Amino acid sequence: MNQFTFESRYRNVLIGFMALGLLCLGITFAIDDELHTRFWTNYLHNSVFFTGIAFMALFILAAFTTAWAGWHTLIKRIWEAYSLFLVPGLVLMLVVIAGVWGHFHHLYHWADAGEVAKDPILQGKSSFLNPTWYTLGTLIIVGIWILFAWKMRQLSVDEDVNGTPEFKHHHRLRIWAAAFLPIAGFSSAAIIWQWVMSVDAHWYSTLYAWYTGASWFVSAIALTILTIIFLKGQGYLENVTAEHLHDLGKYLFAFSIFWTYLWFSQFMLIWYANVGEETVYFFERRENYPVLFYGNLIINFIAPFFVLMRNDTKRKYGTMVFISIVVFFGHWWDFFQMIKPGARHTAMEALAHHGAHEGAGHAAETTGHALEFAMGFTIPGLLELGTMLGFLAFFLFVVFNRLSRASLVPKNDPYLQESLHHHVEIHGDEGH
Amino acid sequence: MSKESKDVLYGLFDDEQILLNAVDRANDSHLDIMDVYTPFPVHGLDPKLGLAESRLHIAGFVYGAIGTLTAFLFMTWVFTRDWPIIFGGKPYWSVPAFIPITFELTVLFASIGMVVSFYTVCGMAPGITNPTLDDRITDDKFCIAFDVTGADEAAKDKLKDFFSQSGASEVNMKTI
Repeated sequence: MNQFTFESRYRNVLIGFMALGLLCLGITFAIDDELHTRFWTNYLHNSVFFTGIAFMALFILAAFTTAWAGWHTLIKRIWEAYSLFLVPGLVLMLVVIAGVWGHFHHLYHWADAGEVAKDPILQGKSSFLNPTWYTLGTLIIVGIWILFAWKMRQLSVDEDVNGTPEFKHHHRLRIWAAAFLPIAGFSSAAIIWQWVMSVDAHWYSTLYAWYTGASWFVSAIALTILTIIFLKGQGYLENVTAEHLHDLGKYLFAFSIFWTYLWFSQFMLIWYANVGEETVYFFERRENYPVLFYGNLIINFIAPFFVLMRNDTKRKYGTMVFISIVVFFGHWWDFFQMIKPGARHTAMEALAHHGAHEGAGHAAETTGHALEFAMGFTIPGLLELGTMLGFLAFFLFVVFNRLSRASLVPKNDPYLQESLHHHVEIHGDEGH
Repeated sequence: MSKESKDVLYGLFDDEQILLNAVDRANDSHLDIMDVYTPFPVHGLDPKLGLAESRLHIAGFVYGAIGTLTAFLFMTWVFTRDWPIIFGGKPYWSVPAFIPITFELTVLFASIGMVVSFYTVCGMAPGITNPTLDDRITDDKFCIAFDVTGADEAAKDKLKDFFSQSGASEVNMKTI
């Protein structure tokens, strides 16, 4: 079957999960502290995570198209559909922006004018970390991404009808793809500083954008594997074989290690230099969030490293489903540990100021001895999981909707034959 | 590996697909192929020849694990027992500082171990030249070779027939 139909049974399941997500967000809002820190951190966490996956899908498409890759042609419609989630992703981030202007949340230390006035470090960064730039940066950067996602999708779908066996039509796609790469490189770093790194507004790391980007990349690949295996189970993508899965498995393996490399490089330089302004980030996590801190490495490095190391595990559907779920969850966990501690700290300081006259100043004691355990901060709770499933269902709803709008197989892509005959395993049989 | 010379009857093919068909045909007529030489790895050839998957990567994993342990345990011994020095106010046993060297030694042991294993298994070493049947099999020709040492003319004729039927572009004899 070359045409995906977004049947009502998929639709109903996804709507059910979206309702679950909304319910979880609602419960979180109701039982939250007075600043609704848990609600807003969950919202930011999932919005950033899934918008980033959409961006990475576009980046993968652009990189592969520029590199003359052919093997992925049969699955490129999935990435195109992913990349179109950038539009709802921008809407999700607009809610965070509205919160910055309206002071609905205390996610960002720098967004509080009163705090900035008495904080020289925040004043020094205020030319970048301010509500105007946060808004403009998000609008301009995600706007450009949407433009490229829309244009590359349009050219690709147009190729189904007007494509030629020569590269004439495909060449236009290549130009857009190549133009996107440098833009993606610089703009993703800037948006990561604003959306995620500025949660810890005093702290900065030059490796942070790469590390976060690698996390997005691995999540995007893991989700791609799961989507492909799901679609194959439904009778679609019959020409996608273990050979394509094998290559995706290599990406999952390689970029899990790449992520670990960046995580460790960032950690080791800060640990070695031992400058207080920098170590505070890791000190906070290691002392007060040890499950997040060590769990992150186990799920995202140890597990994929040993499971995916062997050749044959990358070709087994069951193993790939298992490790993709583990790694996808693991990188969601990674974003959780990036956002929660900093935002919690900011909120506790704000709460301490609010409640100072009521004698509730104990919340500001964040160093010296361990923070209290708090579900939804120290570890993700069931509400966080439910929220994640809701966002995932929303993501897949948009993706399936987009998938159903065009042929699953790009008919006139000049690389289609290469993808149909893709063969990586030297010991495998010639026939499929 | 015997030192005695062998008489080898070999056919050269111009294309990998012709070669794969010829291997099938040889298997069907129960001809005992000595070896097949190709300028690049041909997909699907190994199962036809009944070759098992290489175990070199298992050896590689073991070498790598030895490298990991060597580096980590040696540094642990040096910095906690043999010659403890405080660097930058860090504890003697500073695991993060060991990681880069542990990684490097893992890679080094795995790569050198695998190269040495591979060379040993293939009977290669500096100064040893292995005879090639034809220099073009390293360039653009695909070769099927039969060991015909001590074979009678009828058997050789049967092999020559096989080559002519399966599309070999050239058939030669060589003693190696």
